[in-house]
This record gives sequence, structure tokens and C-alpha cells, in this order.
Amino acid sequence: MSLKDEARLADRLIAGEPSAFRELVETYKRKVYGLAFEMTRNHADAEDISQVSFMKVHRSVGMIQPGRGLSTWLYRIVYNTALDLIRKRRSQPREALPSNAPEQPFFDPPDPGAGPEKAADDACLRRRIDEALSKVSERERTVFILRHYHDLKVREIAESLGVSLGAVKSYLFRSMRRLQKELADFEPCLDKGDRE
Amino acid sequence: MTRCRYWEKRIPEAVYGDLGPETREKLERHLAVCKSCAELYGEMAALVRKMDARPAPDRPAEFWESYWDRLEWRMAHEAERPLGVRARRRRGAFRIPRWAYGAAGAFVFLALGIFIGRSLLRPREDFSIASRQTSSVTAPGEQHGAEAGSAAAPLAAQASRYLKRSRTLLLAVINADPRDGDFSSMSLPLQKKTSNELLREATVLKKGLGSSDRRLERLVSDLEMILLQIANLKSDSGTSDVEIIKAGIESKDILFKINLSEVRRSGTKSGAGQAPRSNVKTAAEA
Repeated sequence: MSLKDEARLADRLIAGEPSAFRELVETYKRKVYGLAFEMTRNHADAEDISQVSFMKVHRSVGMIQPGRGLSTWLYRIVYNTALDLIRKRRSQPREALPSNAPEQPFFDPPDPGAGPEKAADDACLRRRIDEALSKVSERERTVFILRHYHDLKVREIAESLGVSLGAVKSYLFRSMRRLQKELADFEPCLDKGDRE
Repeated sequence: MTRCRYWEKRIPEAVYGDLGPETREKLERHLAVCKSCAELYGEMAALVRKMDARPAPDRPAEFWESYWDRLEWRMAHEAERPLGVRARRRRGAFRIPRWAYGAAGAFVFLALGIFIGRSLLRPREDFSIASRQTSSVTAPGEQHGAEAGSAAAPLAAQASRYLKRSRTLLLAVINADPRDGDFSSMSLPLQKKTSNELLREATVLKKGLGSSDRRLERLVSDLEMILLQIANLKSDSGTSDVEIIKAGIESKDILFKINLSEVRRSGTKSGAGQAPRSNVKTAAEA
């Protein structure tokens, strides 16, 4: 969604147009869910965070500032909601909560065009990247995810997370260095002979 | 090196194409002369390509199709109760209000204060009063009163017996006539033996009394000095030794103090409904 479209949607939300909120949800649900999942590594938590975030948006439509980006405001809500949940999880005994073990992030439908070997290679690489991401610190990972998967600029990430521009640059650099090292240390995926 | 530290932080932005044209040109000039930064750029660019192999987390299509319905249901469900009410209910049902902690703390302090007051201060007063009362009520040679059944009663009886025996001994010394040159009237060995016994009793008595009855304690101490002198008398001692003891008894008004102590006891006894018993006569007789 372009900045102009965002601004238009924001105006409709402020005006109280009923379809505007649904449009916001439909537009951002995947991204909101994706960020929540990357932070919690749990599908149930990700859905809960995404729903709570949209409910917060609905309650505080009046706080939307016409000049400011709608997506950065939304990401900020998601980030803070996820942080609240993570802190709550840490402060509570594990037994009292549902399983928060890391889950597979992908709905992994088989690619009908690719052969079985290519599919296996892709799956292997995805797993390794996912493992590497789980080893990066929470904040660094969030910055990287927002830049790489959500295509936010450094300035937008800074706005979303409420940190300085320099801090975002440092987090991004550190996260990429760490990922580079983690992925370099991985054993290569099994070749065809090993798989057979 | 400083230039490298500056540029390497910009490499991620360059890889994602976020740098402005001027900055990008400067970076390219630096990469052309800096091998390590050029390598880093290459590695990061490769990483970004590699990361593209991993798509963003996703769920099956049916999950997204029903997403709005689930959200709408939840919003409607949670809108049934105003937020404030829900919050109050939660607090009321599961949380202890803060003032309760404060009240509990105050109660603990109060209970602690009462406990300290009762256990550390009051028993001392009780002991002091009881020992005074008992030592006042019980006359020498008499049976203890009803309240003598308390823990201080044996001590009061002991003090009374001690004073009585000491008075008898002192009277014997005072009544001895040194001009006769005969100490047999004093039955010196018996008196010395009695003195030694009384000295031992005095030690126990002083320990028992502590600081509960200062007057009696001083009297016992004075008596100790006299008793010690009597215990140290020898059969060949001159009359001067006996005179010194007599002078000591008189100068310290030992007999008077013993009688006074008994009068005090009698006074307390008469206050308790028993007949007063004057011992001043005994002192005058002495």
C-alpha cells in the first residue's frame, strides 16, 4: 500500500467509515500476524497478538494522526502488544501457560512446478534460516524482519519501534552479521546421494 | 579504519537500496579501495538473497478467510462488558488490594510491639513487685501468705530466715562482754560456723535478689562484711577485734535496718488483713 493509499485509509478511519476498518484488517492482517509470529514463534500467540492489536486500533481510531504513516503506527501497536505478552510469559511459570515451544512458521504447500529434490532443498534452507533467526536477539530480529519481510525503511522502523535512527542501523547491521555467521556455520544441506 | 567503521554500518542500507545517490556513490568509492568492506558488502548481499528463500510466516488460505469473522466475534464478545468493569472484576476477584498489604503490615508491627511490651517489660515489673510484696509480707519465722505460692516466695522466706539468724548472731556478739576476757559466752566456734553458713546464704540470696530489692540487697551486703569479720575471729583475738565488729554493727545500723525490714513486712501483712506485729521491741531489747 502506497503512502497516499495509507493516508486515504487513515482519513476514512478517522471519519468513521465502517468499511475502512475491515479494509485495514484485510490489508495488514498477514503482516501483523507475521511480525507477531516472528516475535513469539508461536501461532496461537501470533493470532492473539494480531487480534488484540486490531482491537486496539479500533478503540483508538481517534488517535490516528493524518500526517503520519498508518502502517508504522500499526506496527508499533503490534510490537508493544507482543512485548507485553513476551514479558508476561517470562514472569509466569511455564506450566501455567500453553506450550510456547517454537513452531514451524510456514504453511508449506508443495510447489507443483518443482521436483521433489528442489522442494527438499528449499525446505532445508528455510529450516536453517529459521533456526538462524531464532538465535538473533529479539530486537535485532524484529528490525531485520521489518526491513527484509515487511519492506520498511530504516526511518520507518525507527518510528515503529520508537528508537533512534542510529540504533536501528546498528541493530540491522548486527542482525545481519549474526545471521551471516549462523548460516555460514551450518552444515550444507544433504546432497542427492545423502537423501537417497 | 574509522572510515570502515562508518561505512560498514551503511552497507545493510546499501544492500537494500535505501541509500541516496550521493551516499551510494561515496560508498562505492570506498568499496573500490577497501577490500574488507567490499567483502562484507558481498557477504551481506548474498545473505539477503539467501534470506529470500525463506518466505514470511504464513497460514493456510482457510485461516485467512475466517480471520475477519474470528476478529469480529471477539470484538463483539469483549464489547459486551465495558473495559473498566472487566478490569475491576479481575482485580476484585483475583488480586489482593494494595491497602490490605499496608493494613497487614501495620497489624504485624502492632502485634510485635505488644509482644515486646509484654514479654520483655512486664515480667520484670511483676517479678520486682512480687518479690517486694513477698519479702514485705513474710515475717521471719512465719509461714508464707497465700501469695507466697509464687516463684518469689522461697526467696522471701530465705531472706527472712537469713535476717533472723543474722540478728540473733549479731545480738550475741553485741551482748558479749569483753571485759570478762572470756569468749566462751559467745560460743565462738558456733558463731563462726553460723557466720560461714550465713555468708554462703548471703551469696545465694544476693544472686536471687538481683536488682529487685535494692534496700534488702544493701543490707545483705553490709551484713556480709560483719559476718566475715565474725567468721575470721580467732580464739586468741583481743577485745579490740570484737569492739571493731560492734562498732561496725552500730555504725551501719545493721540491727535497726533488720528491724525496719521486719516492720515493713508487718505493715504489708496488716494491710493484707493480718494482725500487725511489731519487732521494734525486739530491737530495743537487743
